Amino acid sequence: MVHKCGFRALSQFPHAATLLCGGLAVVLALLGEVVLAAFALMAAGVSFLVVRHLIGLVVKANEQKYRLDQQLIQSQKLAAIGELSSGIAHEINNPLAIMGQETEWIKHLLKGDNLQAPGATDELRDSLREIVSQVERCKEITHKLLDFARKKEPLIQAADVNRLVEDMARLVEKEAAQNNIKLIRGYDKNLPRVSTDPPLLRQVVLNILNNAAYAIGRDGTITIATRQPTADSIELTFSDTGCGIPKEQLDKIFDPFFSTKPPGKGTGLGLSISHSIIVKLGGRITAASEVGKGTTFTIHLPVASPNGED
Amino acid sequence: MTKDFRVLIVDDELDFLETIVKRLNRRKIDAKGIDSGLKALELLEREHFDVVILDVRMPGMDGIETLKEMKRKRPLMEVIMLTGHGSVESGVQGMQYGAFDYVMKPASIDELLEKIHEAYARKVLHEKKVLDSKLS
Repeated sequence: MVHKCGFRALSQFPHAATLLCGGLAVVLALLGEVVLAAFALMAAGVSFLVVRHLIGLVVKANEQKYRLDQQLIQSQKLAAIGELSSGIAHEINNPLAIMGQETEWIKHLLKGDNLQAPGATDELRDSLREIVSQVERCKEITHKLLDFARKKEPLIQAADVNRLVEDMARLVEKEAAQNNIKLIRGYDKNLPRVSTDPPLLRQVVLNILNNAAYAIGRDGTITIATRQPTADSIELTFSDTGCGIPKEQLDKIFDPFFSTKPPGKGTGLGLSISHSIIVKLGGRITAASEVGKGTTFTIHLPVASPNGED
Repeated sequence: MTKDFRVLIVDDELDFLETIVKRLNRRKIDAKGIDSGLKALELLEREHFDVVILDVRMPGMDGIETLKEMKRKRPLMEVIMLTGHGSVESGVQGMQYGAFDYVMKPASIDELLEKIHEAYARKVLHEKKVLDSKLS
């Protein structure tokens, strides 16, 4: 659209030459210079044709570029959808396979007098329990996906971000202490109150702190800091001394279903949900990492609400 | 003074329940206590509440299950989770299922009061937003 408008404005200008020659022809004709007037008229005609042809070429090239851009965007979208659906398929396939095996086993147990064998009813119960737990796992995945798709609208309230982060830090601290993980705080005491969605921000902070503790496992520190780099934004950083994320994986960590945790340990949606929450809150989230040294997540949030409320 | 909104406390520890209801009432908060998730859900069918304080660890229907059901039935009602053991996993789950906040036990009455007011302010805001979007 932008290109097209630009070229339309341009296309009106080159005809100035045609008009100039035409005008000259009229003036010369009035002065009685018939031969010169004829030349000027011819020049006007040639100029008109040349310019029209050139404009045609430019417009055509422009349309072609626009179409290619659209195709590229479309193919990127399709690739993203493809990646997403293979992620879903993979996540759902595992529990399905387990349920399949368990039902086969139940069928076997129910055949003939297999059920009379010692321990058979226990095995039956075990299989059923496993199926129930796999159904739960599927339910959790679909719930999170729905959550992802529904894109809950943020509700903006004034929040004391230091306090909000500290509340979540305290929640993580007890469990972290059991694994000898220390929390170090560096809150900016002069941080302004921020217009944001407190429960959504809590969800992100808790998720990042939880990931940090997971990345460390045992013995290490999580450093939490807040500051105000500019008048209209605040910055939150969370650094862990965990295993770190390899460079080639770093730009994928916010993708849906990308997970470094072993299968069944995480759905790989935590960070992508966090990312979409922060974007909705008008901010941005980035990660920097070095393998063996740790990872730092940085969140920037606007002080005023993204929708201009409050 | 602030009897214009109602708070429900759900906790299986009866001593805690009684104390907290009494203390909130003394601060002019219209609060009621109930000792199980299932009973709380039944009560919601008959009575109106604006904010719920919900213990995470309860026998029978646990806090997360109760939260899920509550949010399904009354999506605009705000729920503050109360946790005694600081389980991060349940915290992550609770926030994902739409809890307003997590408060560690033992919580001071002032802290709880502040959270209740914040949660209620959010509910009012939410109701206004829903109403506005229906009108326009």
